[in-house]
Amino acid sequence: MLKKRGINVTHGGELMLKVENLHVSAEDREILKGVNLKINPGEFHVVMGPNGSGKSTLALTIAGHPKYRVTAGSIVFENVEITDLPPDERVKLGILLAFQHPHEVEGVRIIEFLQQVLMEIKGIDPVEAYDRIVEVAKDLWFTEEDLKRYVNVGFSGGERKRLELLQAILIEPKLLILDEPDSGVDVDSLSVISRKIEELHQRGTAILLITHYGRILQHLDPSRFRVHVMREGRIVLERGGEFVKEIEERGFQKIFEECGCDE
Amino acid sequence: MSEITVQEAKEITAAEIENLAMRNREPEWMTRIRYKALEAFERAPHRDPIISEDELLRFIAKPEISGVPENIESLDDLPPEMKALLDRLGISEVEQKYIAGLAVQTDTGVIYNEFLKEWEKKGLIVLPTEEAVKKYPDIVKRHFLRLFEAGENKLTAYHTAVWNGGIFLYVKEGLKVPFPLHLFFLIQESALAQAPHIIIIAEPNSEFHLIEGCTAPILVRHSLHLDMTEAYLGEGVKAQLTVLQNWPEYVHTRPMTRARIGKGARFINTTVGLGTGRSNIANPRYWVDENGYVELNGIILGQKDWYVDLGGEMYLQGRGAAGINASKAVIMDESTVITRGIIRAEAPKTKGHISCDALLMSDRATMETYPGLVSKVEDAELSHEAAIGKIREEELFYLMSRGLSEEKATQLIVKGFLEPMLKDIPMEFLVEIRKIIELAVSGGM
Repeated sequence: MLKKRGINVTHGGELMLKVENLHVSAEDREILKGVNLKINPGEFHVVMGPNGSGKSTLALTIAGHPKYRVTAGSIVFENVEITDLPPDERVKLGILLAFQHPHEVEGVRIIEFLQQVLMEIKGIDPVEAYDRIVEVAKDLWFTEEDLKRYVNVGFSGGERKRLELLQAILIEPKLLILDEPDSGVDVDSLSVISRKIEELHQRGTAILLITHYGRILQHLDPSRFRVHVMREGRIVLERGGEFVKEIEERGFQKIFEECGCDE
Repeated sequence: MSEITVQEAKEITAAEIENLAMRNREPEWMTRIRYKALEAFERAPHRDPIISEDELLRFIAKPEISGVPENIESLDDLPPEMKALLDRLGISEVEQKYIAGLAVQTDTGVIYNEFLKEWEKKGLIVLPTEEAVKKYPDIVKRHFLRLFEAGENKLTAYHTAVWNGGIFLYVKEGLKVPFPLHLFFLIQESALAQAPHIIIIAEPNSEFHLIEGCTAPILVRHSLHLDMTEAYLGEGVKAQLTVLQNWPEYVHTRPMTRARIGKGARFINTTVGLGTGRSNIANPRYWVDENGYVELNGIILGQKDWYVDLGGEMYLQGRGAAGINASKAVIMDESTVITRGIIRAEAPKTKGHISCDALLMSDRATMETYPGLVSKVEDAELSHEAAIGKIREEELFYLMSRGLSEEKATQLIVKGFLEPMLKDIPMEFLVEIRKIIELAVSGGM
């Protein structure tokens, strides 16, 4: 894993995240072929696209997954080039990824894990962290007893996604990337998840939300977010929030044909 | 060093027997057992994958290693690396003194607190084995070397000839001991001897938890450690034997444990090998009666060029008897860990399961597992599973994406891997165990 320090890039404006001409390969296959994306503080962006268009790769690359190799282009966060930073340093700068498939960690209790996370990121001592974690967890339907379970082990889809949200609320990132928070989730979990995403956004967290279905966007005011549509490793369209409806009604294929993006 | 012949080794051992007999003022019958074992030594086969016969004879001629200070009068006399490690583990000065053998210098070797004396009245006897030989000769005679033969191999024969130290634990019928007995802190001198002999007798329906050893590294002067444990568990007994090992690297250990598990009795035997020494070869054996249950849990940390070979034979002899042999090993550097459990179903409705999990932390680390399931009856349920792997990239990334460094994330994964098996370990040891694992992981990165 690369341990190169972030390079400060002087930059005008208040741009928070700038992804420029990003090319990414995994296992010798190019997945992202020149992605450009800009996010200002507090904004809400949605990335949609068919399966295999590169949405999750974009999310994982911004978070620093070692499997995804950046072959060209750059990622700059708050004027710091983070392209080669290890994942733990990225989250300390303020970027948090909520996973599509959060991994099981056998033998590690949620409460102890979160106490350590809050210690690392915010310097909160474990006793104080404990109370805070239990309080926030209640809102996401986790009891104190639940927090003694091992991280994600034997969790349902809804439980996993709620645990991701719990971490987001505790860590309070500047930019929260949500990779398909609506996939594999029961209706009740979905409503609490979307409510929490909105709360975070209202408190100033910028959101980059990846979704295949747009289910989760039904509760959101379309005027509040922008939609980016991916196709074969590129963002081919950027529109206002109301465009989600059009995608749902007509499907990606039609839209790509009309805009001439299917070349 | 020049070659030692078997004859020379026998002469040296005979002198040692005389010495022990005199020092302990032991009854003649015990000295005779020693001499018989010495006769058996000559003919006994030697099977050890690490120590050759020549090497064994050299150990016998010179059991003590050089380099350990002759007289430890204060903690400053400890080897500096050891002192540094004890400090890093956050071990208190009082405890450090125990470990260095300081606290008992003026004592005869037994530390009883008032609490334990009270329990003696209720039927709990904890004595150095040498004392039990004199005080309870009939009971000891009926249980000494009944689960072993002196002549099985050269190591059992040598142990029997020169055994010293160890404890005698007797739990009266129906007595439930509500606190774990920490042998190391009760009878520390006996625990540090080179060839301690441990006898456990639990009368029907009694309960106890015995903890042998220590999680902190301990200072011993010998390079071959041969301890033998014989446990006799009566009907309906609930017993736990937890063995904590953190041997210095110059030690080869050959723990020998055997237990007879009575009808409906439960025996949980957990070994936590944090420092297993340069080599550690154990093959415990258990005989389980009707509806009895035995669980052998092995937690092994392999480092550097250590070699650990953990067997475990279970004879399910009574109807409905059950056995579980489970191990979890974290294998680093160039170390080798081998597990070879055998479960023999000899009666109807018996159940056995072997599981082996290993986390390989280096490309040069080696893990081998050989599960053995033998059924002599039709309706036994026997199964095994094994999983040998490395830390998964996805798991590491998940933890790192939450702000943990690669080192801390790895420590957490390794601790988590072992955690489910540490459920019965008292808290004060758990804290040290976790710390030792953290240090080992950091050192290996």
